[in-house]
Amino acid sequence: MARRYDSRTTIFSPEGRLFQVEYAMEAISHAGTVLAVLSKEGIAMAAEKKVTGKLLDLSLAPGGEGMGGEGTEAWMGGGGEKIFLLNNNILAGLAGITSDANSLVNFARNSAQRHLFTYDEDIPVEMLVQRLCDMKQGYTQFGGLRPFGVALLYMGWDPIYGFQLYQSDPSGNYSGWKATCIGSNHSSATSLLKQDYKEELTLEEAKSLCLKVMSKTMDSTKLSSEKLEFATMTLHPTSKQPLSKIYKPSELDGLLRDLELGGTEEDAVGAMEGTGGGGGGNVAIST
Amino acid sequence: MELNGGSVVAMIGKDCVAIASDLRLGNQAVGVASNFDKVFPVNDKLYYGLPGLATDVYTLKEHLRFRVNMYRMKEEREITPKTFTHLVSSTLYEKRFGPFFIEPVVAGLPTPTELDPHPKPFISTMDTIGCITTPKDFAVAGTAADKLYGVAEGLWEPDLEPEDLFETVSQTLLNAVDRDALSGWGAVVHIITQDKVITRTLRARMD
Amino acid sequence: MECSFGLTGKDYVLLCSDMSAGRSIIRMKSDENKIKTLGPHLAMAYGGEPGDTNNFAEYVERNMRLYHIRNHYPLLPEPASAWIRRTLAESIRSRHPYSVNLLLAGYDTTTTKPHLYWIDYLGTKAVVPYAAHGMGVYVSLSTMDKWWFNDMNKREGVEVLKKCVDEVKKRITINFNFNCILIDKDGIHHINIESEDPISEYEAAQPKDTVVEAPNPPLDVGVTA
Repeated sequence: MARRYDSRTTIFSPEGRLFQVEYAMEAISHAGTVLAVLSKEGIAMAAEKKVTGKLLDLSLAPGGEGMGGEGTEAWMGGGGEKIFLLNNNILAGLAGITSDANSLVNFARNSAQRHLFTYDEDIPVEMLVQRLCDMKQGYTQFGGLRPFGVALLYMGWDPIYGFQLYQSDPSGNYSGWKATCIGSNHSSATSLLKQDYKEELTLEEAKSLCLKVMSKTMDSTKLSSEKLEFATMTLHPTSKQPLSKIYKPSELDGLLRDLELGGTEEDAVGAMEGTGGGGGGNVAIST
Repeated sequence: MELNGGSVVAMIGKDCVAIASDLRLGNQAVGVASNFDKVFPVNDKLYYGLPGLATDVYTLKEHLRFRVNMYRMKEEREITPKTFTHLVSSTLYEKRFGPFFIEPVVAGLPTPTELDPHPKPFISTMDTIGCITTPKDFAVAGTAADKLYGVAEGLWEPDLEPEDLFETVSQTLLNAVDRDALSGWGAVVHIITQDKVITRTLRARMD
Repeated sequence: MECSFGLTGKDYVLLCSDMSAGRSIIRMKSDENKIKTLGPHLAMAYGGEPGDTNNFAEYVERNMRLYHIRNHYPLLPEPASAWIRRTLAESIRSRHPYSVNLLLAGYDTTTTKPHLYWIDYLGTKAVVPYAAHGMGVYVSLSTMDKWWFNDMNKREGVEVLKKCVDEVKKRITINFNFNCILIDKDGIHHINIESEDPISEYEAAQPKDTVVEAPNPPLDVGVTA
């Protein structure tokens, strides 16, 4: 009986639920974990990459060796699998269906550039979050067959509210956080964050908290750039303008070694191993 | 064009290019601002100047920034001077029957690639509807264009080193705008080399 | 037949406009307010084709207000200037362009810096320390060229402005009344520029007596603590 109300996003079930939206959220809780921690000095974000087979050619793909960078470099080396630069002042970590995510990233970048065009300023963080959520909400009510199967963490800076961290889900809800997590094991990660989060964290402490919780959340004992993406949003020391940094694989391994969480190339886990909650599955469409 | 005034000049040197503009914004004969830069960076290897109607300077600059930012994020690389020239050109031609009153000048150094390890310095200029010219020596535009041609013709020589190019382009601009009532009120010069961009503001006649 | 000017100081910006309204050589009104407050720290002095002026000013005012209501904070001067400029730039290539020139003055509460923008009906924008529109440009710009300097305090700023007003009264054959506001961290206040010593009068007055009504929605609308 319930199936009668499953196929359409726009129809409530007799219990007053939108099943397609709930299924979309369920899909995300199997996706790779994305986790971020806010501090006064900046924001740190880590994202779990689902490692695909060794025959997959990543030499030209984003997330390959050329990935990562700081400032303008982040614009070009930006597109990893999970962490994207949406605008000069905003980075986002995505969990869910990759193709949906790509389309959302494109929409977000266009919205940000449109704001820059009319107001000659970087789009305020919450406004961009609203733009995306308005669109996501639209797919729970109108036309399409299904909602976007994507949840996002946004980290950004604007002159009004400073550093901000937001989370949004397929229903189009969003909320602001000091530290939060989406994807597989998000509830256990969130409780770990709740335990260890302190007000007045430094950026270094935020980075280490971020990665430590990540290492506990992911099944494998050793982290490495093979399975992880990492980024920070800070202010440039002299110009005081927002500075995005997406870590290059080598930089991330260095950071992991410093925190004694792994980072050695030799220990890298091979394909299809230790990918966390989601297990095998169709990794080509679910990151 | 003659409403707000302003001029831009670009020159090719040895493994470097220069682009310079005056800083005046006028309302016919009245000077309104002496901080109106008409040269904008695309990245640290590519600059462009937009002399002409000031409202279009802003609109076109913001339009190009939009397109270049999207290009950078989608392509995951910087736009080359040649591609950028064609982007400007097609943007201008889009308004063929109600044009932007702007004559852009582009100056850049292409990044060496495997196929082309020693790319030549690049300058180009366009008319208001986007017809491209790519000179081998220098490009001028704006209300002092005719004067700039004369001075540049006399001062420019091939294969100038960055510092000599700076001197040449600065003297060309200053002497040309001093003979133009609608340009002047300060000047800014950018010398683009493979490892850095030198930007200097010049002391000019302020009358 | 109008005259407005503005100047920035250390932590404030002054805006001054004449108050006459009429057609050709006839003045029908000498107490018309041609300065519009656009937000708690933003205002503009406008002039141009009668009819276009008020319509455009109200259009801008309502859009600034809408932004404030939607986002719970007002648009800062820099993006506001970009929006107004874009609106005029799009208008000039439309079938019925607005014919409005304006000076936009604002105080940026995030950087605590004053801003002044010279904007004309084409959508030309200049970011300037001092500016003028209308009949007064020739005399007031040269007056400000001579007397304006960086980081003036309020008294010094008002004195320069007063020199401009005096120069206009002396050199321009038309007699204008002037309306003047000051924007600083405390918001928008009225200054009686026609008085002998405007700044002492302003400082002696209660802030509530000089404050200019700004569209300022209660900031807690929709925000839960």
